[in-house]
Amino acid sequence: MSTTTDIVYEPSVIEGKPALAKVDADIIKPMNELPNKKFLIAISFTLTLLLIGAASLAYTFYRGVGVWGNNNPVGWAFDIVNFVFWVGIGHAGTLISAILFLFRQKWRTGIARFAEAMTIFAVMTAGLFPALHTGRPWLDGYLLPYPNQHSLWVNFTSPLLWDVFAVSTYFTVSLIFWYIGLVPDFATMRDKIVNNSVVNKIKKTIYSVLSLGWRFSNRHWSHYEMMYLVLAGFATPLVLSVHTIVSFDFAVSILPGWHTTIFPPYFVAGAVFSGFAMVQNALIIIRKVYDLEYIITLDTLEKMNKIIIVTGMMVGYAYAMEFFIAWYSGHDAELFAFINRAFGPYAWSYWIMVSCNVISPQFFWFKKLRRNIPFMFIIAVFVNVGMWFERFVITVTSLSRDFLPTSWDYYVPTIFDFGLLLGSFGFFFTLLLIFTRTMPVVSIAEVKAVAEGSQPAHHGLGHKEAH
Amino acid sequence: MINNDTKLWKSLKQYQRNENSIEKTHHEFQQGVTDDFDLKTLPNQSRRKFLAALGATSAILTTACSDYYDKGEIITYNKKPESITYGKANYYASTLNDGKGILVKTREGRPLKIDGNPEHPVFKGKIDAAAQSTIMDLYDPGRLRFPVKKSDSKLLLFQNELPRADWAKIDKEIVEKLNEAVSNGKEISLITGKVISPTQKKLFEEFASKFPTFKVYSLEQFNDNTRRKAWFDCYGTKELPSINWEKADTIVALESDFLGSEGNTAEQIRRYTLRRDVNNPDKFNRLFVIEADYSLTGAIADYRLKLHPSEQIDLLLSLLNEMINRHGFTLPAGVNIDLSKYNYGKFVKEHNFNQTAADDLIRDIATKRSKVLFYAGDTLPYEVHIVTNLINTVLNNNELFDYNNAENLYLDYTNYDEWRNLVNKMNAGQVGVLIHFDSNPVYLLPSDLNYKQAAEKVPTLISLLELPNESILNSRYIIPINHSLESWGDFSIRKGIISLQQPIIAPLHDTRQKEAILLNWMSNNVEQYSHDIYHKYLMNNWQNNIYPKLNQGFDFFNFWYSALHDGVVTFNEPINNNLSFNSTIVNNLKLKLDKSGITVKLKPAFYLQDGKQANNGWLQEIPHPITKVTWDNYAMLSPATAKKYDLKFAEDVTDQITDMIEININGRKVSLPIFIQPGMVDDFISIELGYGRSLVGEVGANVGTNANVLLSSKDGISDKIYTNAQITKTGKKFNLISTQEHHSLDDEFVKDIHIKRHIVQEYTLPFYTEFLQKYEHVKKELKQKYADDAVKYKEELKKEKEHLLGHHNYDIKSIYPLFEYTGVKWAMGIDLNKCIGCGACIASCNVENNIPVVGKDQVAKGREMQWMRVDTYFSGTPEEPVTSLMPMLCQHCDKAPCENVCPVVATTHSPDGLNQMTYNRCVGTRYCSNNCPYKVRRFNFFDFRNDFADGYYRKDTLELLNNPEVTVRSRGVMEKCTFCIQRIQEARQEAIKQNRTIRGEDVITACQEACPSSAITFGDMNDLNSDVSKIRENPLGYYVLETLNTRPNVTYISKVKNVNITTEVHSEHHH
Repeated sequence: MSTTTDIVYEPSVIEGKPALAKVDADIIKPMNELPNKKFLIAISFTLTLLLIGAASLAYTFYRGVGVWGNNNPVGWAFDIVNFVFWVGIGHAGTLISAILFLFRQKWRTGIARFAEAMTIFAVMTAGLFPALHTGRPWLDGYLLPYPNQHSLWVNFTSPLLWDVFAVSTYFTVSLIFWYIGLVPDFATMRDKIVNNSVVNKIKKTIYSVLSLGWRFSNRHWSHYEMMYLVLAGFATPLVLSVHTIVSFDFAVSILPGWHTTIFPPYFVAGAVFSGFAMVQNALIIIRKVYDLEYIITLDTLEKMNKIIIVTGMMVGYAYAMEFFIAWYSGHDAELFAFINRAFGPYAWSYWIMVSCNVISPQFFWFKKLRRNIPFMFIIAVFVNVGMWFERFVITVTSLSRDFLPTSWDYYVPTIFDFGLLLGSFGFFFTLLLIFTRTMPVVSIAEVKAVAEGSQPAHHGLGHKEAH
Repeated sequence: MINNDTKLWKSLKQYQRNENSIEKTHHEFQQGVTDDFDLKTLPNQSRRKFLAALGATSAILTTACSDYYDKGEIITYNKKPESITYGKANYYASTLNDGKGILVKTREGRPLKIDGNPEHPVFKGKIDAAAQSTIMDLYDPGRLRFPVKKSDSKLLLFQNELPRADWAKIDKEIVEKLNEAVSNGKEISLITGKVISPTQKKLFEEFASKFPTFKVYSLEQFNDNTRRKAWFDCYGTKELPSINWEKADTIVALESDFLGSEGNTAEQIRRYTLRRDVNNPDKFNRLFVIEADYSLTGAIADYRLKLHPSEQIDLLLSLLNEMINRHGFTLPAGVNIDLSKYNYGKFVKEHNFNQTAADDLIRDIATKRSKVLFYAGDTLPYEVHIVTNLINTVLNNNELFDYNNAENLYLDYTNYDEWRNLVNKMNAGQVGVLIHFDSNPVYLLPSDLNYKQAAEKVPTLISLLELPNESILNSRYIIPINHSLESWGDFSIRKGIISLQQPIIAPLHDTRQKEAILLNWMSNNVEQYSHDIYHKYLMNNWQNNIYPKLNQGFDFFNFWYSALHDGVVTFNEPINNNLSFNSTIVNNLKLKLDKSGITVKLKPAFYLQDGKQANNGWLQEIPHPITKVTWDNYAMLSPATAKKYDLKFAEDVTDQITDMIEININGRKVSLPIFIQPGMVDDFISIELGYGRSLVGEVGANVGTNANVLLSSKDGISDKIYTNAQITKTGKKFNLISTQEHHSLDDEFVKDIHIKRHIVQEYTLPFYTEFLQKYEHVKKELKQKYADDAVKYKEELKKEKEHLLGHHNYDIKSIYPLFEYTGVKWAMGIDLNKCIGCGACIASCNVENNIPVVGKDQVAKGREMQWMRVDTYFSGTPEEPVTSLMPMLCQHCDKAPCENVCPVVATTHSPDGLNQMTYNRCVGTRYCSNNCPYKVRRFNFFDFRNDFADGYYRKDTLELLNNPEVTVRSRGVMEKCTFCIQRIQEARQEAIKQNRTIRGEDVITACQEACPSSAITFGDMNDLNSDVSKIRENPLGYYVLETLNTRPNVTYISKVKNVNITTEVHSEHHH
């Protein structure tokens, strides 16, 4: 029933009116230059972390998981905390690129590619932990359902097995989705490279292969768009399912503090929350370093902050609801588990979690703070810390004090636990840094599509007013 | 190739020399297949060549990949001994050197497990945790392996550094020294433990006749010497009767841990718990423990009253006053003490005793009379023992003492005057040769005797020992001796009972039996040692001296071999039990004992006793039943005392805030971490001895603190209790390691969780008897009502039962149908009325199931591996705590939460109801352990056999310890109690052999076998006549955390306390 006067124009998602060639050049620039000093400092830092992780892992393999602090009631600690944390980080990418795509949120274009890459790397990082946390990692193959001469099969009732499927499916689909999105950009890269040196020749060959013969034809575009839409539709339920299934690791058990039905939505909200915070942290640096402020705009960052505050409050609601249900259940062990979280020996971690996850995003109610880049960077760091602690609180405090008070014990991490945590950051950021120098961090094709003047439009019909 | 000349034949045809068939067998396969297989002649792509190459490659690859550690060699018998069948255990009866009658399981000649000898009338098949664990001492890598002659005074730390001496040479030298000592008129002193072996006693006598200056000293740090002396002074006889524990209706234990660490505990527990059968509530005995310390016996007691040891006399005399004046008892003739100043009522008020307990005590005395036993602890002063004897005489409870089986001792323990005398002689150069005969006087004797300094002056010091110890000093000769299981002997712990010791295995090292060494020195031909010298001596002694007295109907050899088979010989040795009380001893008794300042009580370490077995990792690692501390001793004191001296203690294991204190008794000082124990008398400290061994082997060295330095031969109200001590806070902190967190009883947040969650349910005897009547009535009614619906009957009965017990009835349903167990279904029952918490089950499980020792650092991290544990819960107030003990092991739940979460199906359920663990399949996700509500699963965080003490388990001879019937688990694998599946399998094989189905009673689990009180029952719950199914039907039976619907197969019988309170002790109140 709308009339022509009701037409509202979406504000432009990129700032200014850049020439399409400038968009190409700005995005491709990092790939055509030798790494600068800043990059080298950054990658040597992340490689150091990675080495610390590798050394910790080597020692773990040599002696056994006993080098960690895990003990008898606390069978899972940093190993699974890190896993859940990184799977959570891996949520923002596909959510931005798939769900926001389906909802036609054009502002996603500046950040989608980068967020997707983060998803891939975060899931890769996460995937390391279940594999290496086992007592006998050389037998991890037993977790896969493969036909064997022992006629042994995996246990389909175990949530750990669901994890194997959920995470690997999510990883596969995210990878394909990411790659499909990259194809037109690879073609652009291929076309932009002048075949004048050996290095460029190699580069051109690689990009040629990766672009799968893309010729920017109308036919290609039309298939591509359909394919992208289908994949987005396919990836969307996976965004919700992965963390749902990860949460089953806890929810399906009978442990007080784990055995709750609120976990699936609560975990997904938390994952989106932490994922957005991590995207925020990385992008704030990337847009500055690679001069992409006009593409990854402050408006976009503000929108991300809005999602952070929404998901932060969902998480806060879940914290409160857990307490309420624990009391409402009338089950002594259940209520004890939650009071113990807030006031027991691990109270410090609980209050770190609450202050970082529930209190710190509240600052984003103020527009000024929401648009203040240093401030939002700090809040995003807080959210990441808080979300890591959320997993710590759930995993460790619940295990450390369960049903029989005689088997309670306190968990203290060792340097190898911290080594692996640092190593996971090293692994993730090293991959991310390599990514920024080998592939376009922003989707060239999509940005050009939303740049002013790129789409057929009726000029003069209130367009100016939209600004 | 079959030779045509052979006499072998494979078939009748071949036998008939059918050329055709021979030809055919020659070419078994198609022509051209078996012969002429030459790779070179084959084409390149040949299938056969490919297969050959594949075979060769895979053979190389598998050999290269498979053997990732050396599994050693297996050497088979060249000729199989007749008595040995591979894979089948043999059992031999024998005796340990401390007189405990044992039955040893061997496989292929290798001793594997020690249990009590069922034929032994004292032990009846049960022995304590320390004896169970002795098997590890046999294989201890630290054992001395050959004799050593030392020329310098360097301490013997690593025996391999010292050169091996020649037995013949040193024997000859020693005999020269002995003769020299005799000719110079110098004493040959020998220090041994308690002398309870008749043949050893004879040996000493003969040795003394050969070397006239020979003198034997007997040293046991923990002994019943005070009781013996008091008995002798009161009744004029050295024959100390043993106690008929099961005949006492009421036992009043004064500072005595007779169910824990004092005396022959396995026997005492067994006999005490005979009167704790819930099916016979009328027969329940009642235990009063009156103590200052907090002992296991105190924790078990029906009534526990706090009293300083010096005030025990006052209590006894005020009771005596009450008995004489109110209840018609009379004092023995001639006893003349003024009882009028001892008023029981006043005493009770002054000491803030629980009024019900105090009333019941005097009421029991008045009504049960001669069925009341007063029993004073070993550490109590002589005076208390005298008054205890007096009160027992007044009670006329002669029936409670077994005079015919008196506690045997062939040689009195050496007293401090005699020790002082010896030290003086050594200082004066009057001792020529000093022999440490498997004893450790340097460590055990009070330091004020200055034994060590004196012993160093003796020209020839000879140490006979298994493991190095502190008394080696500058021994000239260090002589390795056999373990109990490598020795011959005879031991008589009671009059009329002699148990025999036979070697179960040949000596593992170049060692000799200590008696054989003495015997050899006595012989004329020292250099010609014969290994059976003591065996012959023992048999001769029996044939000539013991056997004739026994009046056996058959000849000696028949007697001897049947005695060896049974391991024990009993006979009548009647003893005068018509004793008269010596009144003068009481009349001249000092009745006021000192209690000023802080009092320190020194007591044996719960499992290590005097520390002789300190190198036994299993014993170091079994948690103390009350404090749960492992690998350490500590100064135990009350919360109020800790507050008074501002001492802090790690309530949970979050940090190292346990303070250390210095204890000073007349200048004798020691620093110890504190342990706050509710229920102790204020200004009272108890310390376990047996720790802080400096020289014992790599496992036990420097574990804990040597508190023996507090011992004194002069002061103290008894030889183990000292008053006037001072304590100061040192400012140092200590990390005391325990397997359970300790929570203050003031901490409302964690208080009484075990009651709220129905982990422990306890009732009082009056409540229980009342309940039982109602229950039987209801049962009868329901049986009529639901005569044809068994399921409904059971449901309704349970509902009614819960109602009568005052519990909420949880109607637990499952959405899945339950699996139907049609055949045998294994189940266990644990009667908490009988469980004392002694830990014998833990020790037995350790040995049976190859449970590794993990070491203090790993226990600190919470990674102890014991499959069986005894949980300790406290409730009540810091002044009057209530202790509840509960053995906890895998509950083998029908709906086991561990099973459905394992991603690789490594833990599964068997059709006979076992929760099984497939080690090979386990990848170690630890999810099962996380999901186990009982936290009974144990994860191998490391390969503990490599990890503990630098690969201690891989060291030579300790590898022999492993039970071949149980897999040795590797790193990264989850494990837990299996209900001794190897024993079930063995029984099943036996049943198959006999062509029948397996029966529940065919299987006895290791913990069940060891339990001195038979608190553990195991069997087939589907067999309605079995003990275990009756326990499951017992109205006091319950499952731990029943509301989780895990449907455990371990049933606990709630504890019933024999106290005069009609309400239940523990129960929820929200119905």
